[in-house]
Amino acid sequence: MFDLPKRPILSVLLTLALVALRAIGCASPEWQGWSGVASYEGILFVGSMDGKLLAINPSARSNDLPFPSAGEWVFRFPAFGLARPVCGPACAPTSPMANIYATPLIQDDLVYVATYSGENGRVLAINRIAPGYAEGAPMRSKGEWVYPGGLDSIGAVVGSPALYDNMLFVGSSDGKVYALDATYGEKQWVFDTGAKIWTSPTVGNSVLYVSNYGRKLYAVSARDGRLLWQKEFPASIASSPTVSDGKLFFGTFDHYFYAVNASDGEVEWKFRGGGWFWGTPLVKDGIVYAGCLDGKLYALKVDTNMKEGEKVWEFTADAPIVAGPVLANSGIVVASKSGKISVLKLDDGSLLKATSVGAQVIAPLCPVGNMVYVHARDRCVYCVDAERGEVVWKFSTVIK
Amino acid sequence: MAELWNMLILEPILNSLISLCSMLGGNFGLAIIVFTVVVRIALLPLTIRQTRSTKAMQELQPRLQELQKRYAKDQQKLQQEMVKLYREAGINPLGCLWPLLIQLPIWIALYQSIMQALAATPENLLNLAQHLYSWDLVARAVPLNERFLWLQLSKPDPNLILALLVGATMWVQQKMVTPPAADPRQQSMNNMTLMMMPLMFALFTLSFPSGLALYWVVSNVVGIVIQYFVGGGWGYLRKPPGAGKPAPGRDVSDAKAPSVASGKEASKSKTIAKTAEVKKGVFSENERARSQR
Repeated sequence: MFDLPKRPILSVLLTLALVALRAIGCASPEWQGWSGVASYEGILFVGSMDGKLLAINPSARSNDLPFPSAGEWVFRFPAFGLARPVCGPACAPTSPMANIYATPLIQDDLVYVATYSGENGRVLAINRIAPGYAEGAPMRSKGEWVYPGGLDSIGAVVGSPALYDNMLFVGSSDGKVYALDATYGEKQWVFDTGAKIWTSPTVGNSVLYVSNYGRKLYAVSARDGRLLWQKEFPASIASSPTVSDGKLFFGTFDHYFYAVNASDGEVEWKFRGGGWFWGTPLVKDGIVYAGCLDGKLYALKVDTNMKEGEKVWEFTADAPIVAGPVLANSGIVVASKSGKISVLKLDDGSLLKATSVGAQVIAPLCPVGNMVYVHARDRCVYCVDAERGEVVWKFSTVIK
Repeated sequence: MAELWNMLILEPILNSLISLCSMLGGNFGLAIIVFTVVVRIALLPLTIRQTRSTKAMQELQPRLQELQKRYAKDQQKLQQEMVKLYREAGINPLGCLWPLLIQLPIWIALYQSIMQALAATPENLLNLAQHLYSWDLVARAVPLNERFLWLQLSKPDPNLILALLVGATMWVQQKMVTPPAADPRQQSMNNMTLMMMPLMFALFTLSFPSGLALYWVVSNVVGIVIQYFVGGGWGYLRKPPGAGKPAPGRDVSDAKAPSVASGKEASKSKTIAKTAEVKKGVFSENERARSQR
């Protein structure tokens, strides 16, 4: 037992190490993305974690009818480019499969979706009644388009697009904001921020606000892409900004939550949390609600003279809060990463109802009346009744 | 278990690496290099122990082979004699493995840290957020600049340069400690291992993030430097083939291992001297037995 030569032992050890490395690298699932659910005229649209867009009819799901039922369909995004032959287990995805982080956006007959394929991205407009894409190309007669066309691509898109005045704004990993004509997909203007954009742009009063990972926040004219002002912060901006009451609200990587003047970017107040403020904040009746990765939902006064912000109440969840809070009829709904959905009273943050979907939740929530639709990490869409605090139905997005 | 791993190993390494990056002007490539050197220096006592233990094991090889020949038909006796030999030489045959086993978690954690710190995908960035300390130094460094020289650290090197560097440095490091074997079969196996490992790692470099490959290169170079000073020069890298091969029929006690042949090297290693003394004692008994016959 002792006469093993050293080299084979070394080989065995190194092989074990490599197996361990492979195990670490392959531990994460192949599927990725955290598209939220969008609701339009009674139909839900969601990007699945395996590169598909689904139209789901909630009434068919609550009656447990076979998929697809009336108004339902599934659309697989056309892959583009060739699979790269070399790429490690933990680096950017090797396959040209389109993943979806952006929540779909709907206007008239089109569903807008932006994709993430390694370093590349595209923006697609798909007919919301029935996708007409044939052989990977959009069907013009159905009003569909893709940007950019042919074999071109922009940087991968993580943040959700924004719509304003028939213009679609998309922030991309190549650091640029693309303004596209929402009807025909033609480029109107491009604004280069110089650093990766993974947050969603937002529009208020004809001004587009966008942050990048170069620690900067930009205000650009939505009409022509002209820079109005820019502001640099000590750390990069983690959450997509929300604009309300003449202020912008967002969190940064150094655990601060900011309220800045929307007209010039001057900081009005900042509040220190115990982690990143990742989800998009919600503003309602002079209070801004911000979920934090420290597991707390903070309710802060919008207008305050205190430079450190003024906390009204806080709610402690059982796990980090990744998805931004939303408003349902019965109260404010917050999901923790563990999958627990809590419904809170607006005025004091007391717990009204709670339930769990039993899977991690990091995608944005979609409230419709008293129902909240949740796209969880188990690749299922859940319908949660916020008033009764229970899961009404669950639908798997894994469609063969 | 995973939480314990994260808290005790991954997070300290990850946050140190990012802090270092922040102190080095946001250059993550440079941070990987400095961090690797620091880690290798911190593990130096283990590395020296491993090097000496390995060397001492090599010294015993001729005698082990002799025992194997002598007790080829009696495995139990062979085991007893081998244990006795190791005991006399003061060597733990698995001693060279412990330092490797201790380094393994650090190596894995470093790999995880590099991958997490670079946050190549949005999921990685979200995971990273949950492993960072609330130090401003760390928070303000993220997301890191993944550009270093011609490399994009979260992606494989599209050129062959890094793969060649990994393969070459690993080969040199291994060659320095691989003695020529007396047995041709053993020698060919050694040659194969000597080529296989660097080749394997070079191939992995083509598919792993270049940040990790950079760590391999730096780690190998530091290993070569340590080997040079601890092992006494270039070791077997400069020995002509067969230099350590004992002549057929020659008493193994006369066959000096190359490292022992050099008086300078021998004086540097107490273990070797000790092994040589044990050898002398055992083999003089052999000679006595032969003359009695």
